[in-house]
Formats: sequence, C-alpha cells, structure tokens
Amino acid sequence: MGIVFTRLFSSVFGNREARILVLGLDNAGKTTILYRLQMGEVVSTIPTIGFNVETVQYNNIKFQVWDLGGQTSIRPYWRCYFPNTQAIIYVVDSSDTDRLVTAKEEFHSILEEDELKGAVVLVYANKQDLPGALDDAAITESLELHKIKSRQWSIFKTSAIKGEGLFEGLDWLSNTLKSGSS
Amino acid sequence: MSGHDSKYFSTTKKGEIPELKEELNSQYKDKRKDAVKKVIAAMTVGKDVSSLFTDVVNCMQTENLELKKLVYLYLINYAKSQPDLAILAVNTFVKDSQDPNPLIRALAVRTMGCIRVDKITEYLCDPLQRCLKDDDPYVRKTAAICVAKLYDINAELVEDRGFLEALKDLISDNNPMVVANAVAALAEIQESSARPIFEITSHTLTKLLTALNECTEWGQVFILDSLSRYKATDARDAENIVERVTPRLQHANCAVVLSAVKIILLQMELITSTDVVRNLCKKMAPPLVTLLSAEPEIQYVALRNINLIVQKRPTILAHEIKVFFCKYNDPIYVKMEKLEIMIKLASDRNIDQVLLEFKEYATEVDVDFVRKAVRAIGRCAIKLDRAAERCISVLLELIKIKVNYVVQEAIIVIKDIFRRYPNTYESIIATLCESLDNLDEPEAKASMIWIIGEYAERIDNADELLESFLESFPEEPALVQLQLLTATVKLFLKKPTEGPQQMIQAVLNNATVETDNPDLRDRAYIYWRLLSTDPEAAKDVVLAEKPVISDDSNQLDSSLLDELLANISTLSSVYHKPPEAFISRVKAAPRADDEEFADAGEAGYSESPSQGVDGASPSSSTGTSSNVPVKQPAAPAPIPDLLGDLMGLDNALVPVDEPTALSGPPLPVVLPSTTGQGLQISAQLVRRDGQIFYDISFENGTQSVLDGFMIQFNKNTFGLAAGGPLQVTPLQPGASARTLLPMVFSQNVSPGAPNSLLQVAVKNNQQPVWYFSDKGSLHVFFGEDGKMERTSFLEAWKSLPDDNEFSKEYPNSVINSIDATIENLAASNVFFIAKRKNANMDVLYLSAKIPRGIPFLIELTAAVGVPGAKCAVKTPNKEFVPLFFEAMEPLIK
Repeated sequence: MGIVFTRLFSSVFGNREARILVLGLDNAGKTTILYRLQMGEVVSTIPTIGFNVETVQYNNIKFQVWDLGGQTSIRPYWRCYFPNTQAIIYVVDSSDTDRLVTAKEEFHSILEEDELKGAVVLVYANKQDLPGALDDAAITESLELHKIKSRQWSIFKTSAIKGEGLFEGLDWLSNTLKSGSS
Repeated sequence: MSGHDSKYFSTTKKGEIPELKEELNSQYKDKRKDAVKKVIAAMTVGKDVSSLFTDVVNCMQTENLELKKLVYLYLINYAKSQPDLAILAVNTFVKDSQDPNPLIRALAVRTMGCIRVDKITEYLCDPLQRCLKDDDPYVRKTAAICVAKLYDINAELVEDRGFLEALKDLISDNNPMVVANAVAALAEIQESSARPIFEITSHTLTKLLTALNECTEWGQVFILDSLSRYKATDARDAENIVERVTPRLQHANCAVVLSAVKIILLQMELITSTDVVRNLCKKMAPPLVTLLSAEPEIQYVALRNINLIVQKRPTILAHEIKVFFCKYNDPIYVKMEKLEIMIKLASDRNIDQVLLEFKEYATEVDVDFVRKAVRAIGRCAIKLDRAAERCISVLLELIKIKVNYVVQEAIIVIKDIFRRYPNTYESIIATLCESLDNLDEPEAKASMIWIIGEYAERIDNADELLESFLESFPEEPALVQLQLLTATVKLFLKKPTEGPQQMIQAVLNNATVETDNPDLRDRAYIYWRLLSTDPEAAKDVVLAEKPVISDDSNQLDSSLLDELLANISTLSSVYHKPPEAFISRVKAAPRADDEEFADAGEAGYSESPSQGVDGASPSSSTGTSSNVPVKQPAAPAPIPDLLGDLMGLDNALVPVDEPTALSGPPLPVVLPSTTGQGLQISAQLVRRDGQIFYDISFENGTQSVLDGFMIQFNKNTFGLAAGGPLQVTPLQPGASARTLLPMVFSQNVSPGAPNSLLQVAVKNNQQPVWYFSDKGSLHVFFGEDGKMERTSFLEAWKSLPDDNEFSKEYPNSVINSIDATIENLAASNVFFIAKRKNANMDVLYLSAKIPRGIPFLIELTAAVGVPGAKCAVKTPNKEFVPLFFEAMEPLIK
C-alpha cells in the first residue's frame, strides 16, 4: 500500500525519477560533469572502465545518471544501458576538433537505436574554458544536430571545471521531461 | 507447416529470466536487492543466470553492503563466462578500492583476485597497488593474497608492476597477520615459479620469528612452513631459531605443532651440542604424543609423520612406545600404522611388553591386522638378536592355535628368521612340518619349501615332503615353482640318492619343457647346466653361504627420508612419497611449448587403417607375426633323455622355446605374479595391419577363477587409449589367455616431454586393481603413411634448420646386407628413399612418420660387414629424437 501512495504523491507533486545516460567519447568530461552535478565540486578522475551511477536531485526530479566509459573498448556495451532511458546527455570535448567526426558518428548511431526512440537529447559542448574550443553553433554544425527530426534536443556551452552551463542544461532537461510526460 | 504454427514460438509468458531482468532494473532499491537475491539463489541451485550479467553488474554501485556482496558473489561466478562484459565492473572495483570503509576496500580487492579474466587483470593493478599500501591492515593482508592469485593468472604482469617487491615489503609490516599473509602469498608464488623469488635472509628471519608469536594459528603455519626452507648459517643460528620456535609445540592446533616439529628437526641437523639435541628430543615427545589423542583421522596423519620422525631420530619417542599400543576400538588404518611404529621402537628393553601386545593382536579378528602382527613379531626377531628366541617361542605358540592364516604367516616370517640366524632354531622345523598340508598361500608354501630345501640334510623325510609338493608342480604359482626347483636341487646336492635324482629329473623337465615362464626356465637351465658340467661347482653355487639379512622393510632411503622430513605435515609426508610423485606442477617456463604441442596434436594426425591393408607394408602380408623384433631363442630339438644329458656333459644344451597357447613370441612380463598375487600379466604394444594393438596375456596363478577383466590406460604422450573392452574369458586357476586389444588415439594427451611410457591399470572382479608401466617402443607408432618422395624428402630436409638435426652412433650394429636392412626397416614402416656410396660407406636415406604427422628424415651411414652405424635424423619435433634413436636401435641390428 505504502508504495502505491508514494507513487501517487510523487506524480501529483511532480517528484518523479528519470533515467539518464551520459555518453560521449573518452576524455570528453563525462565523469567530471556527473560529480559536478552530484556533489557540486570537481573531482580528479581517471578513465572510467565501466560505469558510474549517481542520483542527482534537481527541480523535483530525481535523475538517475549513468556515466558510461567512453573508450573504444567500452562503447559497444553502451547498448546494455539503453532500455528505459528517458534522456541522453551527449558530452563533446569542444576543443578536440580532430575527433569531432568520430563524435558525430557515434552520436548518430546512438540516435538510430530503437530502444532510445523516445529519449530526449541534451548536448553539452564541454571544455569551453579551454582555448580554441568551438562554440555551440560550431558544435551543432559538426554534429549535424539539425538532422534530428523526431525528438527534442538542445545544446549548451558548458565548462565542467568552472561549473558553467551544466545546470542550465539540466533546467531544460527537467522542463522537457515534465512537459513531455504529463 | 502452416503459418498458424508460428504461435507456438511466441508466448505471452515471459519466463523467469526476463522477469528477473525487469526487477533488476527496477527503480526501487529493495526490489533490486530482492532480485539479486533471487539471481544468486538461482545460481546456487545451478540455473544459468549468466545472461543477466549486465543487469546484475548495474546494481554493483550501491551503499548497501549486503547487495554489494551479493553482486560480487555473482561476479566471481560468472565473470569467466562473460569475459567481455566483465570490463563493466572494473570502474566499480576501482571506486570500491578507495571506499572509506576498509571492509569494502578489502572486499573489492578480494573479489578482484577471484575474477580470473585476463582481459581485466591489467586494470586491477592500480587498485591493488593502492591496497597493498593501505592504512588498514585488513586491506593489506587481503591484498597480499590477491597478489598470489594475480600471479597465477599473469605472472609477468605481477613482476613488471613490482608487486613481488611490495609483498616482500609487507614482510616487515607491523601487523603480524599481514606478515603471515605476505609469507603465504610469496610461498605460493615460489611454488609455481622456477626462479628463486622468496628467500629468507637473516633480516626477514627476525621479522618472521617476531610475527610468529602474534598471528593466528593458520598464519603461524604459513610462517613456520616458510621458515622450514631457511638454511641456518651455523649452529648458533639454528639454536636461535629452534629456541624461538619451540613454544609453538604447545599449540592446540596440530598443524602448528607438526610444522614446528619440522623446523626443529631440520635445524637439529646443524646443532652440534649433544645436550641441546637431547633436550630438544625430550621437548618434542609430549606434543607428538598429544597428537595421538585426537580424532582417528588426525591420529593417522600424526602416525604417518611420526613414522618418518622415528626413522630419523628414534630417541625422541624411545620411551613412549606404550602410546602406540593399539586400542581395541582404533580404526584398522590407525592400528596398522601403530604396529609399524611399534616395530621401529622395539628394543631389548621393551621387547617383552611389545611381544605380549603382538601376541594379543595376533588373536584378533581382523585378518589383515593379525597377519601384520605376526609379521611384526618376525621383524622384531630379525631386528633384535637377543630377543629372537622369545619371538620364536611366541610364534610357536601362535602356530599351536592352528588358525590357518596365522600359521601361514608365521611360516613366512620364520623363514626370514632362519635366514637371519642360520643353524640356530632348526629344532622347530618338526612343528612347522605338522602344518604342511594346510598351506594354501603361495608365499607360505614357498617359504616352507625353502626351509625344507635349506635344511634337507637334517630333515629325514625331506624328499617325501618335497615330493608331496611336486605332484602339483605345473599348477603352482611361479613363486612356488621357483622355490621347488631350488629346493629340489639343494636336496639333490645334499642327498644325491636315487629318490632325489628322480625328483630332480621330473622337476627340471617340468621347469624347462613344460613351462612358459621364462624366469623358471632360465633358472632350471642354469641348474641343469651347472649340474651336468660340474656338480662340485653347483654345490658351491647353490649351497653357498648367504649374506646376513636385516629388517629393512618399510625403511626409507635416507635421501628420500630427508626430503619427506622437509615436507612434514603435508600430503607428501602422509603418502611417504616426494611431492613430484603425485603432483604435476606447471612451472612458469615451459607453458608456451606445451600449447604448441597440443595444437600440433590436433592438426597433424592422420592414420587410416586402409593404408595398411593395401599392402604398403610387408608386415601386413604376414598377418599373424608381429613386426616387433623380439629376441627369439633358436628352437632346438627336444631332449630325449634328460638325465643322460644332465650327466653327459652335453655342451649342445640350448633352451627350448615351445610356443604356448597362442601364436606369437612370448611377451615381456609387465606384472610378475609375485606382485599380482598370483596373476601374471605380460604385454607389449604391437602394430598389425596398420593398427596398434596391445598384445596382452594373463596367467592365472591364483587358486580361484578370475573374471571381469578390465583395462585402463593413463594419459600418455601419444594419447593412446583402449579402442574397445578387454576380451578375456574367465580364467580358471592355472590357465592363461592372450588377446589383442585394439588401441586408438584419443585427445587425452599427457603434457610434458614425450616418453614412451604407458601406464596401465588392470582390474578383475576378484583382485585389487593392478598398476604397471610398460615401456613401449616408438617404432610401433611409425605409420604406414611415412613414405616420402625423393623430392619432398629433399625439400623437407632443406627446410628444417640445422639445430633440428641430431645424430647417434650405434657402435654394435653390423649391417651385413643393405637390402636386408632396407627390408627390415620397411617392415617397421621406416621407408627407404635413396642410397649413395661414399667411399666404402653406404648412405641410406629413409623416412618415417609418427602420429600427428610428425616426420623423421633419416640418414643412415654404415659400411657393410663392419660394426658401427651412424644415424642422423631431422625432424620438426626435436623432443621425440631420443625416443626415435631408442626405437632405431633394434631395427638396424
């Protein structure tokens, strides 16, 4: 009975849960973003061989954020995490122009996944603090975001180190999720 | 099949796995935990839940320790079956190894060690390195063990990352448990490595001795066992160690006690002061005695170890013989061991007591125990000459009880006593003779016959007695036949009258013409020759003074004893076998070679029986005769008048070889009847019609019908195994049977250097399992497909590097005709390719091939008629070369 009530209340008061995947190439800053969101501070990280999962409470939404390792050897296993995902945060290292093509390819192959059909997409053009980082428009161009037709998406300039842009993105995400499901 | 049937394949029911999957991905923690518990439950009862791997691993990052432990448990079980996905767990391990809670850090590092997936080991090195330097000793001690586990998976990695040094540092840790585990890990690593990795220096010695007093009992065992490998520099060093270890003797854990005893015994070797040694011996006795108050199983282990200790230092327990007296309710295996130690401890001082005990045992109900007790009396008599008379009188008392097996056993030991104390106790022969008719065991019969023969001149009716045995000569087991033969000869030499003369004629006839036992035949011919050439010489030989015997049964060779003492409190000291004898440990180095070997085995082997049938090999045309050359004695004419020959100095006397029941030359004996309790097995590998057979013959020398024969081959170099059941009809007593068992090649190939040893186990319904080794010869394996064309031979020869060439001289081989040699070799599937003349030498080129397609390219150089041949061979598989040379030897005679 208790559980039924909790569910009832949470939907009435909008306190809901969402499963979010943080994806992107290796060294894009996924883990740093995760802990910046969760703890509000910058932690030193090592390449994630596997995954991190944390819960982030924001705007009355409990985000269950899965940060998956971005190395080539781990990317094939991303698909294990696709089911029941409401949103994807795709992190791009804006200063790593050489690999933007790869980032684009990975990005679009994710979007083609059946299991992610209903997921909204939030792109973080990360590492804006670095010199030579491309801005959001350039990243939009390189990732060919305009090709996305059948889902909601948005892009934000972020710097995980400085903590800029992250919560703006999360605001968009929570609003989108709320409006999308109610 | 209509389209409607598709409905049978789709079902609305989801089944257990998808349900679990859904629950594992639930957003509620409790539900996830329950789901993981369900998964573990399914795993425990043997259901395959490996398909849930990622879903379970996703539950890994949790603050809930219970859930974490469950997921870890799952990982240990299934990581091996999902090696690719196991990588997903790495990050969690890394995180957990930095968790503030030391229990979680240790849990992570322990689990990491248990996941034996090569792909992820590399990622685990960093966390492991951190944990080895952890602040918490519990984490450090767990990490130490993890290094040993990692070493087993990837030794190179462990060495490259400097974990060995880290482990050695841990020996100086301030926590004794960490020290103990580091020692355990290093010792284990040392076991699997050929290089010296863990050597105790005087510095580490102090650390270990200090840690010894503080750590747990099993930690103490690890430290003590490692210390036992330390070689003390001098007597003072040794005394110092012993002094620090001695308090461990008081420990309640028997493993600690035995390990401490081991160290003290080893260090005592160096201690010169007799006072110290005596003192130590005194100190070791009570703890050893205490071990015998434990459960029977532990008693047994203790007794096996004490057996060794007593052999080395009898003084330790010299005064404690009473604790080894058997209790009525001791299990039989304990009793047997106690008996053995009692014999070893028996001395002039306690022999009366001991004999009283033995006599008591000899009237118990367990036949084996009774026999052993009687034997024990005999062994004491041989060991203690002052007590011999008392022993004999006890034996006589036992004979008077008239229990058949007691009497027989007594006669066997009395024979030994006679041998030890000649011409001392013959007065009892009359008593022995009373039981003559009841003897039915071969050994007892043989012993009695020996006694009669040995004392023929003092036994008035010796000839009658022997004659009574002679009637059944052909049916007797070989053991008895041999004794009868010798005894009759002795009798004849001592009393050369008419009766014995007729007897000897009958016996020699039986033992030569009528028998197929080569041992018996050989001995008979030697006697015959001796008697017919020079009866005086025969006397000198047959009636010669015999060397004095001592009781060395169950006495171990001193070097073996030392090795076993160094392994006290291990399986080795219980088996009384060196560890190599029952464990094959893969040392780090030869691994790569082994793998290559196995691959070659799978790919190259081809052997079809049809190749043999099409007449390629001359041996197939003869059909019945084996192509294995066996030295066959020339068959002479039977001898008509035995005695005439015997006395007539007939130098032309040659052995007769009567072909027995089945065709083919006699087979080498692989299991003599003495070992096989009357069953004699002869066997040899042969090749016929392109197939390998095991030519095996059984001779039943027991008193009962033997049936239900079965055979089993141990793993061997060629993977040779029985190709069918052993077809042997029930064997009547005295009967023999011979059969050809087809052999096949299985994948069951034994690793290691090739050898031609075939280990065989044979059983039947009446006897225990018999094991024997048969040394086959490689040429049995030479296949009919070994013939090569000239060109391919040349190519193959050139393609092989020069280090694959080996040569060997056969100085005694004489080749009288090239053609005959070629034919002879071809009969054994060594095929002729070409020949050339080089000065006065003939050079032959030949080829042969063994299973798995391993070719041999042979160059044989010899001069016709001149002794000495040289054989050079090239083969890709060098390891077979020694076997090859061995096989060639008989072929180029």
